[in-house]
Amino acid sequence: MATSTSAVGRLLPAISSLLRPPPAGELREYGGVALVRRKRVIDIGCGDGRMALGCAPHASEVVGVDPDPSAIRLARAKARELGAANVKFKVGVAQELPFADGYFDVAILSWTL
Amino acid sequence: MVDALREARRILRPRGILVDARPDSRVVAYAEHGAATGTYRQAGVIATSHEELVNDRSSDDAVATAVTSGWFRSRGAGRFWHRVLFEDRPTLQRYLDDHARFVHRVRWMVDPATRRRWDEDPWAIRRAVRHERFERL
Repeated sequence: MATSTSAVGRLLPAISSLLRPPPAGELREYGGVALVRRKRVIDIGCGDGRMALGCAPHASEVVGVDPDPSAIRLARAKARELGAANVKFKVGVAQELPFADGYFDVAILSWTL
Repeated sequence: MVDALREARRILRPRGILVDARPDSRVVAYAEHGAATGTYRQAGVIATSHEELVNDRSSDDAVATAVTSGWFRSRGAGRFWHRVLFEDRPTLQRYLDDHARFVHRVRWMVDPATRRRWDEDPWAIRRAVRHERFERL
């Protein structure tokens, strides 16, 4: 069984996603890019956008939702940095998602439940 | 948690896929010492904290409710291992002290003298992540 890695330095990161697997590796475990290819994907509890941004190159549209505004600000900044035009991040809670019924093809709860 | 799964079902199209992934507290994590060759060797066992075990059981119960309610059906599950690398053993210990996931004390498999000798070497925590894919019904 493969083991993915993340590295931290002497200063432990406040952003927990730095302690989590790289998104490409995690996506591979879930079935590979085929899972999200040309799909509408929502990352519920997206934090700083780790998985959402990992899905973006393959998906048609990705939305990340998280209740923490500072995490969403960071996710948006990362998306701008990466030029990921098909990703949106919204502040919100998993129990009340501001989207129409049946809008998404894939929902990801990574370290969320 | 059940409310979140109900909402996930609502926004998914029929036969859409839900992925649930989280640390697997059913198995222990390991403190590993990094050798000069770049390989890592088990040096201790790290249990999940009681609070996180309770949280994980609540999540399991919520998923079970979603399945028995006919919202989703399982389309496969698995587990992978993830290694978080630390510059040295004090950094690993600080991580354990600062984060709620694990208990703060490692159950060591190596003696204190060996640990002291390895203090400045690279260390890692290797932990399991379990995941399950569900189809929206």
